This record gives sequence, structure tokens and C-alpha cells, in this order.
Amino acid sequence: MSDDLCVAMEIPPDVAFASSLAGTARTLAERMGFGRRENLRFQLAVEEFCICLAGLAQPGQPLRADLTGKRHLLRAAFDFRAADLSLGGLNITACTVTRTDGAHAGDLGLLLAAKAADRFHLEHLGADRFVIVAEVDRAYPVLAPVNAPQTMRPPFRLIDGRDPARLTQAAALALAAYPAWQLPSSFRTPEKFADMVLGGQVACAISVDAAGQTAGFLAWSPCSEQALAFSGPFVFASGQDRAEVARQVLDGFLEAVARERYVIVLSFRATDDLIQSYFEPLGVLQACADDGCGQQPVIFRHLREDAGLAVWCSPMIEDFLRASYDRLAMPRDLLPVEEPTSRSRRDSLLGTTLDRQRDLAELQPFLDGRDMAENLAAHVAAIRDKGINRILCYMDLSRAWEAALAGDLIRAGFVPKLVLPYAGQADKVVWQHEQAR
Amino acid sequence: MSRLVDRVPDYVRGFERYVPSRPDAALMRQYGVSHLFRLNNNENALGPPPSAMAAIAAFAPERAAVYPSGDAYDLRHALAARFGKSPEQFLVGNGSCEVISSVIKAFCAPGDAIVTADKTFAVYEWVARFSGVEVRLVPLVKQGLDPGGMLAAVTPDVKVVFVCNPNNPTGAWWRKAALERFLRALDGRALVVLDEAYREFVDDPDFPDGMEVMERHANVLVFRTFSKMYGLAGLRVGYLCGALEATDIVRRTHIAYSVNTVGQIAAAAALADDAEHIAATRRMAAGAGDCLRSLFSELGLEYISGAGNFIMVRTPISDTLLYRRLMQKGVMVRTMTGFRYPNWIRVSLAQEAAMQAFSRALRTALDAK
Repeated sequence: MSDDLCVAMEIPPDVAFASSLAGTARTLAERMGFGRRENLRFQLAVEEFCICLAGLAQPGQPLRADLTGKRHLLRAAFDFRAADLSLGGLNITACTVTRTDGAHAGDLGLLLAAKAADRFHLEHLGADRFVIVAEVDRAYPVLAPVNAPQTMRPPFRLIDGRDPARLTQAAALALAAYPAWQLPSSFRTPEKFADMVLGGQVACAISVDAAGQTAGFLAWSPCSEQALAFSGPFVFASGQDRAEVARQVLDGFLEAVARERYVIVLSFRATDDLIQSYFEPLGVLQACADDGCGQQPVIFRHLREDAGLAVWCSPMIEDFLRASYDRLAMPRDLLPVEEPTSRSRRDSLLGTTLDRQRDLAELQPFLDGRDMAENLAAHVAAIRDKGINRILCYMDLSRAWEAALAGDLIRAGFVPKLVLPYAGQADKVVWQHEQAR
Repeated sequence: MSRLVDRVPDYVRGFERYVPSRPDAALMRQYGVSHLFRLNNNENALGPPPSAMAAIAAFAPERAAVYPSGDAYDLRHALAARFGKSPEQFLVGNGSCEVISSVIKAFCAPGDAIVTADKTFAVYEWVARFSGVEVRLVPLVKQGLDPGGMLAAVTPDVKVVFVCNPNNPTGAWWRKAALERFLRALDGRALVVLDEAYREFVDDPDFPDGMEVMERHANVLVFRTFSKMYGLAGLRVGYLCGALEATDIVRRTHIAYSVNTVGQIAAAAALADDAEHIAATRRMAAGAGDCLRSLFSELGLEYISGAGNFIMVRTPISDTLLYRRLMQKGVMVRTMTGFRYPNWIRVSLAQEAAMQAFSRALRTALDAK
């Protein structure tokens, strides 16, 4: 059973309620044992989002706030209705962009909310209904990597993957044995990884040897309603035992998720111990660093038969999509969508996730706007300024407006690299910004 | 702005709906083929027995305006006559899936538990989960149900034990003595559902006859279906038979009028004249089994071939990729990841033309790897 602490409130769209909502956020953070700094950031994010949304939401329509305390983070979700939503202030570039019409780059409150939270996500639920989710992470100590034991002894067996000490040790072992790009960021703070498993956000298949030593593991978590992303297999046995341990954790993983709701599993960071025949290659991403360029494969497999889909498709990437789907033997109806001749909203909004350790920035279009081209360019520049080389952008082909962004992305220097089946509401195209070397 | 999902029990909220495959016409359009061999659902490729076909053909369309018998009165009497029992011992459902649901509703409350195998017919597990009933899954041993493991999993909160005999998808089955030992050791501590969906495909005299077993064990309910051997899958008729008390309990949670008139008529007709149909179907399954075992041996593929009209084979590529490649050749199989057999497919045994088409498609698909 989850040990999350949840508070749900429905309030009028009135700034007078912001302080009481922030008070509830404080109590929640205290009850979950978060530190003062995270507590204050959470309060600030909740209060500022509440004030901003009170001004944006349709009058007379209540604003619903769901505050959740998990072991590893605090989350605030606001469900609201807005006729012409513009949230430009949430862009990471908001404080640096100067608009040509002289207006400020978004609302200061939104800027504060975005800075206070570790991340946010906007979901358009149709018509005028939206959900915005902001999260603040718990601070964890960074632990030193741990080297694997020299010898392992068969037989190997799978064990229940929920022992905190075992999970912390497993993450630390992986940290020592695998390159950063193959590791989830939570491995750098193994206690966080254990909390995520115990809180149900991540699951694990762990193999141990005859003496109970950790021989290998594989971790997974949902990346959409239909897809699971996994990391691994991480194997600490040697010689011929490696393949056996890898097969054991892969079989354990697939058997564990086989009857869940997910359609596919995928990985951006599968290790060399992966059994290739279990999976299908989707493509490769370029990875350039100071010491040269490499290629990072992306793989997937279905958990059930593919039922086919209809997806939106810009003519600018039709050849790419047809070639991808033909290679995957995947039936798709391509629905043509043209680039818009005009856009009603002024400010576009891009979600941004940065991971310096993995040299990775990920962009997700949340709202279209007349400034989309400039906004993309500004994001790329801001990310490059931070010294990050790999910039990916995800396009969900279930949304016509997102599919229609192909032209903007190409002009901003992005290239369609691969299709992730069912990684969004439908398939997603992964775009990568071309790296100048 | 309260959300609909907030009013839903956790065990429903966390359950994902089953997505059935699309109609043949839609699949053929998607995969660009003009013919589809259906080898995914273990249907009987010979169709229903001639007597059932005649009954279906004789059905007057205007009778569609009239409700069916709400409790399949005539069919229950036909079953009673066939098996020498009381009609009240039978309960007919819209396929055995409906009967599974009725049994769980009758015997289990949220928080109770059922026991079954980890790799078996999935519907026991699904119905239990979306009913708030805990599912205890006992790993198979040598591809067969593990009597000792299942007994060990039975605690006072376990209300039903599901035994699929022969097991779908492995085809392994408990012999008479094994079943008897299991039931004696269980000693009535839980209801036992003996699902015999594929029993008509077995002619071994040591295969236990549930209709006889239930006479000695009042806690046994036998499930059978007209969807497999009798070729009436499209009409959805399944049934259970048990002691009067057990059947009466299940009847309380069973929806009346759920089985359509044509299904009831066809099923009763099928029972009346099934000997040659069963023999012909067994011959077809045996021939197809020989063909596929030879093919898999030649290709060096591991397979599991037990009782029933299906074979499982381990694939050297992802089962779901193989499915798509076979579909491009007009052959539809069942991927087995959902049965917790990643990288296996299950192939229904059908006539020679279908087996040849599968053989050609499989070779081509594997050559492409």
C-alpha cells in the first residue's frame, strides 16, 4: 500500500485562497519530513501557481489542487479551465527573452513558480481544461560508488526487490560499473532510488547469487500511460554467469509487467548485457562530448500485439515516418497535418528537463504559440550556454498541433531520429538537435 | 470539479482494460493482406459439427425479436441428459469467461483471495483483480500446474482455486491420481474450479473426468465450453456443472438472459451428434501437431506441445515482432508475453493449408532477422 500523503482541495479562482493552500503545502512537507529548504520551495511554488492560475482560470470555475507528499518528492497538481491559456513565464528562457512588442517575458509569478519547482508538466485534457503539475525533490546525499565482489557463485535467483539496503547497494554498484549515460539520475543518490522503489515509482528485478550477494538488477518506471522505460540490465557477475544473470532479470522484468496495462517497454540506456533478441532497435542518438562522438542505441519491445494506430504526420517528415514504420512492420495510418498559417496564442511553452551528469536536455512542447520558432531557438541557445550537448525534443503524434511543429523544429536545427511507439498518447518522434563539431 | 476517477475503487482504477484484436477486415487492411489465417485463438478450424450448423441455418430470423430462455432451459436439459445429471447442476454463461466472473462474485468479497498458476488462462486473474480479490500465483513446475505449491498457497482467506486442466497455454495436465491427491489434501478448504476447456482434445484414459470427480467432491465446479472443440466461439456458450448447493450459490450472482437463442440452440444440437466431429478434429490437430513439431525441430526451435489444439514455440526474436512479420504474410498467432512467456508464440492447430502458410511465413520472418 502506498504511504503517500495526499490532500485535495477545490477552491474558487481567488488569490485570497493562495496563502491557505501554501499553508497546507507547508504542513504536508513537514509531515513527510522534508527539509526546510524544500518545504519553502514547495510552498512558494504552490502559492505562486495558485495566484497565477486564479488570474488565468475561467471565472466561476473552481480550481482543484491535489497536493501529494511522496517519499522522494512533493507534488502539486492544479486542474483548471482557461479559455486562452498563455504561460510563457514558465519557459526556462523567460527571464532572458525580450519580446519585440516590449512586453515582459511572462508573468513574474510564473517565473518564480517555475524556479521554485524542480520540474513542471502541463497536460491539456481537451477543450479548455488543463492540469499543471509541479514537483519539488527531496535532497539526498550523494554516496560513493561501491565495487562489486570479486567472486559470485551460482545458482542465481530473483528476490523481492524492495529491501532498502539492497536497493541502495545495487544502485551504488551500478554507479561504479557503468557509464553515466546508462544510469538513471537517481542512482547518483542511491537512497533516493530506494525511496522511489518503496514509493512505487520504480520497480526492480534483482538477482542474487548463492551467498545472497547482488549479482544484477534491472529497474523500470512508467514513461507514459502506455510505456515503461527501463535501465539495465546491470550485471555484476563475471564470465559466463553474466549472460545467465542478464536473462534472469530480463525474464523477471517481462514476466512482472506482462499483465500490466503497458503496451511497450523501451530503453534509452540499455547496457551491453541486454539480450538483443528480446528487443527491436528503434534507432540511435548521437552523443558528442569533448572526447568525441558516439552512438546511443534506443530499443523497445511490445508486451502485446500491436493493434495499429492513426497518427498525425507533417509532410516534412512523411518519408521518415513511412520508412520507420515499414522497418518496424508496424501498421499506422498517417493523417496529414499542415503547418499552421496563424496561431492564436502569443506565447508558446516548452517543458525542459536538464541533466548535466548525462549531458542531456529534453524538450517537450506544452503549448503552441506565435513565438514558437524564436522560443525553440532561445531554448537551444540557453541549453548550449549551460554546456549541455545532447538536446532532444519529443513530439507526440496524437496531437495535430504538435505534429505540425515539424517545420519549426527543422528550421531550429532539429533532426527526426526515431519513433517511440506508444511513448505518448500515441507514438512519439524523438528529435535531436544537430551538434556542431 | 470532482473527478470521475476519484469515485472508482483502487482495484478498478489500477486495472487496465483488455484490448481485443481488431476485426479481420481491419487487420487485413492494416497489414496489406487479402487473406488471414487465424491461428491465435485456438478456434476449431473445422467449424461447428454439422448438426449445429444445420440448427443455426434453420433459425428463423424473426425469432431474434424474442428474448432467449433466461437460464438456457433446453440446453441445460440436454447437458443433463448427456452427462446423467440434474439440469439444476448446470449453469450456462456467455462463454466460460462469464461463468468465471459469476463464481468469483459468488464466493469472493474484496480482500479475499484466489489461487491459480502464474502461467495459465488469464481471465481468472483479471476478474479477481478488478473485483478487489487478491491473486496468488503459483509458478508452474516443468510447464505444469504445481499441486504442492497451490496447496501451500491456500490460507483461510482463499475462496477459490482455479485449475486449468489441460493447462492453457502449456497443454500439461494432471492425471487422475494427481487430481485426487490434490483434492484430498485440500480437504474442502476452498472451492476448486476445474476448467476443462480443452478436455475433448484428450483421449488418454488417465485424464480425469471432472463430471465424475465432482460427484465425489462437493467443492468442485467443472467448467466446459462450446468455443473450442464444438466450434461455436462466435456464439459464446460455456457452462459449469457442480453439486446442487455450489451451483445454486453461483446462480445467485449470474446474470439471466446472457446467452443468446442461436447459441443455446446450436450448442444443444452440437451435443446431439458430436462423435464424428470430435474424431475429425482430433485427427486434424494430430496431423497439424506433427507438421509443426517437425518444422520447429528442423529450425532448432524449442517448443511445448501438450494436450489441446495448440503448440507453443520459443522464438529467436521478440514474439511481438514475429507477430507483425507473420501478419504481413496473412498469418495471425498469439504472442505469449502476456501469458508471462516472453518470446514465445502460441499457434493453433488447423488444416494443412493454414499450417503450410504458417510454415512459409515463419521461415521468411526468421530469415529476415
